[in-house]
This record gives sequence, structure tokens and C-alpha cells, in this order.
Amino acid sequence: MKRMWKIFVKGLVVENPLLMLMIGLCSAVAVTSSVSNGIGMGLAMTFVIVFAELVISLFRKIIPSDARIPIFIIVIAAFTTMVDLSMQAYFPALSKSMGVFIPLIVVNCIIMGRVEAFASKEKPLDAVVDALGMGLGYTWVLTGIAAFRELLGNGSLLGARVMPESFQAILFFTLPPGGFMVFALFISFNLWLKKKAVARAGAAAAKEAA
Amino acid sequence: MKKDIMRLGLALALFAAGACVALALVYTVTEPTIAGLEREQLEASLKDLFPGADGFEPITSGLDSGTPAVTFSGSWKASKAGETLGVAVKGAASSYGGDAVMLVGVSSEGRIVGARVMTLVDTPGLGANATNPSYFVDKASKTTFTGQFSGKAVGDAFEVKKDVVAISASTITSKALTSIVKEAGGAGSAWLAANAAGGTR
Repeated sequence: MKRMWKIFVKGLVVENPLLMLMIGLCSAVAVTSSVSNGIGMGLAMTFVIVFAELVISLFRKIIPSDARIPIFIIVIAAFTTMVDLSMQAYFPALSKSMGVFIPLIVVNCIIMGRVEAFASKEKPLDAVVDALGMGLGYTWVLTGIAAFRELLGNGSLLGARVMPESFQAILFFTLPPGGFMVFALFISFNLWLKKKAVARAGAAAAKEAA
Repeated sequence: MKKDIMRLGLALALFAAGACVALALVYTVTEPTIAGLEREQLEASLKDLFPGADGFEPITSGLDSGTPAVTFSGSWKASKAGETLGVAVKGAASSYGGDAVMLVGVSSEGRIVGARVMTLVDTPGLGANATNPSYFVDKASKTTFTGQFSGKAVGDAFEVKKDVVAISASTITSKALTSIVKEAGGAGSAWLAANAAGGTR
């Protein structure tokens, strides 16, 4: 159980795909101009990574290593298309505002990276836990960045106006440069979190030794 | 070596076949809903443009865009008790974040009755203000960007920053949307003059 928790929790801070591993960045900066997009993208990507890691981990023994990359892509693309179709059918507004970024989950390097580095070697249960951690790590960062940008750049949260009428929206945060700046702030925030986590782990280890 | 290629190909084919079966299932389940949603959205927009109309009939020929920048993907004749009220044209043009699609209503009197944005992928706070009901190009009269087209004569210039107010900091979006309205208005009224003359007063 403790081992599972460790696998899960590493995706949130210590090995956060966006803030520590720094992969899958372009879609992350592109869709985070509104909170609903951030949550939608995060959940869509979590769904794809969980099922892709599960399937690949289940079949890891019969996937020939020479043909593994095309097989990974087939599996990931199939799940991405499923998400895309379901969103078009049941969440048409969200699907419209995300545009091309849902189909582009296929080439999201977080999924490709975790499938190659983790799911193709580990047991199915571990792979699902890893995928959940990575997916949630991705989702919280997207939602956080999006909340920051939507609040300051548009004066609203989830489309509802929260800032007073007199608040002049700072367009900079909606535009790409603002996205990069907020992203950088999140990286430093995450580094601080990681430092605290490491210090706590160190203190606990020292206590046990003493 | 030869055997190896066979084995790899077979594994790949197996996974591809599995993926195809799964996708076919999802497609069959979602396809009717997606098509239904599109039809609903279209019907609602048509009704919105011509609230008085009791029937919409697809126009199959004679209504085409005169410029390669704007493409028409459909047009409908709105009628009430056999009398033609006008036409609605669905047109698309390349905008800031991809193709923008609009539905433009043209009355038999040669005026734009209204313009609705169907699809627009754009930056919130900038180009996306084209569909924001509380973004006004004229604050005093509460006119939205698309609202300013209502009542314009199809023969007008339709020039952004002259007779069309642009969305601030979104000239590309403003120009793309305006070009759709202009083209749809021109082609729509030409079709009405050629095909529905006499049926209207």
C-alpha cells in the first residue's frame, strides 16, 4: 500500500510532468486561458493516460520491443479519438473551445513518456496508479494556471464574473506571454513545495535513525 | 530476419484491429448524438434569425460564394405561408484561431436581418468577444459585434474600422467575420432577386 502511495504521489509534486519533468508543455500553455478548458483538458488527458498505461502494461509481454513505438501510438490514438468523440457528443461547448488540442493528446509527450518509461515495464495496477498520479499532477497545474490567467486576464472564473465592475482586465495574462510568466511562477512554487517535502522526509529519516 | 518482420507486422496488425473495433463501437454510440446536436443548433439559429418563418427549405443551387476567401457550406430559404422572407447562408472564412463559421440572414428587402457565430476558436478576452453577449462595440446602444450587422443594407461597404466597428485588438477576427457577412449578404440578395422575385412585396 505504501509503495502504491509513493508511485501515486510522485506525479503530483516531486516528478510533476509539467513542472519538474517539463514535458507536454505546449498544450498546457495553449489551453489554460480559461478554467473550464484547463479542467477539461486535464481530465481528458488523465482518461487517456490511465487507459493507455493499463492496456500497454497488460500486453507488455507480447509487445515486440522493435515495434513498440507504433503500437503505443495506436493504443494512445484510439483512446484519444474515443475521448474526442464522446466530448463532441456530450460536452459540445467544451469540445468546441478546445479545438485541435484534444486530438493533439495523441502526441502529448507525457503519455508517450510514461508508457515507455513505466507502463511497458511494470504491473498493470502500478501502471494505473502511476497514470492517475501523472494525470492529476497535470490537471492541478493546468487548473491552477488557468484560474490565475482567467481571473486576472478576464476578471472571471469558470465563465462567471467574480471581479468587481471597476476591475480592468489585464489582457496580458490571456495572451501567450502571460501564459509563460504564470507558468514560470508555478515552476518556482513547485520547487518550493518540493524542497519542503524533501526537508520533511529528511527530518523524518533523521528522527528514525536517532 | 524475414520471420522477424512477419512477427512485428502481425503484432502491429493485431493492435490496429483491436483499436479499430473499439473505435467503431464508440463511433456508433456517439454519432447520432453528434449529428443531432448539429442539426438542433442549426435549427435554433435559423429560427432565431427569422422568428416569423414557418418553414426552412435548403437551397441546392445558384447560391455560391464569389470569393475564394469565403466558402458557403449551406443555405436555406425562410418562408411564411408560401411567401419568401429571405435566405440564411452558412459561410466560413479563415480567422485568427482557425475557420470561423457564421450563419447570416438576408431579407428580401436586401438587408442583413442578423448574423450569428456558429464556430469560432479564439482568444478569450480578445477575438472571442465576438460571441460574448456582454461585449459591446457601442456601449450606449448595447450593440454587440455581430449585432451591428442587423439592419445593414447588403450594398454597404462592410469595411472594418469604417462602417463596421472592430473588436479591440482583434482585427483579424473582425475582418474574417465581416467578410463572411458581406459575401453572404451579396450572394443571398442576388439569389433572392433571381429566384424569389414576385413572391415578395
